[in-house]
Amino acid sequence: MISQANGSARCRIGHLGLGTDVLVGIKAEVNTWAPGEPESLGSIVCNVECSPSAAQEFEGRGAEDLNVELTQTLDRMFNGPQSGIDMAKLCIIPKQAYWVLHVDALVLDVKGGIVDALVWATRAALLSTKLPRVVVESIADEDGNLQSEFDVVDDAEDQVAIEGVENLPLSVTFNQIGKRFVIDASEQEEAVTQASLTVAVSPKLEICAVQKGGFLRGFPPSLLSEIMQTARRVARDEFAKFKELYETAASNQMGDEPSTGSTFLGAF
Amino acid sequence: MSSAVNDRRRINGPARSVEPIYTATVMDSVAAGRSDGRGLDHMRPIYAKAGPISDGQTTASASGSAFYEQGSIRISCAVYGPRSARKPNARRAHFVCDFQYAPFACSKRSHTQSTDEHETSLWLSNTVGPAIRLEMYPKSSIDAYVTVIESDGKMATLAATINCISLALADAGIEMYDTVAACSMGLRDSQWIVDCTHQEDAECSVLVAYMPSVDEVTGVLQTGKTTLEVHEQGVQLCTNVCVRVYAVICRALQASVE
Repeated sequence: MISQANGSARCRIGHLGLGTDVLVGIKAEVNTWAPGEPESLGSIVCNVECSPSAAQEFEGRGAEDLNVELTQTLDRMFNGPQSGIDMAKLCIIPKQAYWVLHVDALVLDVKGGIVDALVWATRAALLSTKLPRVVVESIADEDGNLQSEFDVVDDAEDQVAIEGVENLPLSVTFNQIGKRFVIDASEQEEAVTQASLTVAVSPKLEICAVQKGGFLRGFPPSLLSEIMQTARRVARDEFAKFKELYETAASNQMGDEPSTGSTFLGAF
Repeated sequence: MSSAVNDRRRINGPARSVEPIYTATVMDSVAAGRSDGRGLDHMRPIYAKAGPISDGQTTASASGSAFYEQGSIRISCAVYGPRSARKPNARRAHFVCDFQYAPFACSKRSHTQSTDEHETSLWLSNTVGPAIRLEMYPKSSIDAYVTVIESDGKMATLAATINCISLALADAGIEMYDTVAACSMGLRDSQWIVDCTHQEDAECSVLVAYMPSVDEVTGVLQTGKTTLEVHEQGVQLCTNVCVRVYAVICRALQASVE
């Protein structure tokens, strides 16, 4: 979608094209290892920015708090082994160089369900990411140590996908209104939400991350366990829906406008 | 490692410096037992004192304060408020937490605020907020300033912070539904270990903040991957330990009044 990025996706939730709109771009860069960092792992750096055009409160520094909160939420879900990505494969040469995946999300419109839209878009973007292939040459020098050098293949056709992206999680956000909760809240429902719980579930239905938001009230423990059970059930359906929509978007030709509902836009 | 950027507010050290790295002694397996001899479901001993900064002896400007120790974790919190808010909300008070690590608190020195600290501040307001009767203080703001003097285990420090803030808020006399007690657990070898130190810090950990009298979970935080059943078991265990922490906080409050 975005030609300069290694991977990208745009996710829009809502009817008739009006709703929460998120654009995620992935850029892969090679980073030099510094002492103190993990020796043979790559890393993922997330950054979320709410565009001031999304809402009036986001003008200037108004969105700063929300940006930080969303960035850390994404980071908690995707940066690390719980995301399912094989971080060891992102390492090019141990103690020398590794891939850093910069996940940059731009929130274009907010009408409820921002975290879910972000996670959908990030998952789609990472699934579509293609890394250039790297060739590593190792020569043993006089002391018997292995000197390694790597070279990034310059061919646009010769690219590999990231290992383990099928294991990326999806999130479900539960908003508590009164004594019960709703999923996939609209703008109006979020306005009356007293507390929310975001649960990230992997395709194998494992819980990857749980985070509570909202400062007005807490959850009774019984409601909490009900929410976790529901999260697993809903996630099962969500993964099926995601797969279907992703495949439609990936095969879309230029100019095809997808139907309403949760949509992925293909190439511009 | 100190920042390479020229910081005009401080006397700068060398442009690039690296701290020595000690091969970390990470706990290998649960079966060998914990290094400090605790049981798997025992928390570190807690010492909590309400009112060190706000009693009559010092120039008291803080409405409430607390000092909290849990093993090696040391946290100090001061609460100012209710005071007039800059952007007054006519319906409720504006509760803000300002969370900060002292530069020497963690294994890596840092004196600038990272996004980690900013997000923790926001998350703390969401976790302790439900306990406060915000509607009793319209158009005012309640500020809690937390400084972590020493940190030992990331999730455990967060849990200790919540306990400290609850204690300070109660010391300030702010109307609350209940004090929030929190505790954290790490998952190792498919077993939940209560209150992990830095050595024992696990890939998957769970933190639960609970109000026992009202029976409400005000905060859940999970990092790392686990199945639903294991997660539920962890949350259940955490909630049980929270009740014991709650008793300790209440005793500290009682002691401060006597």
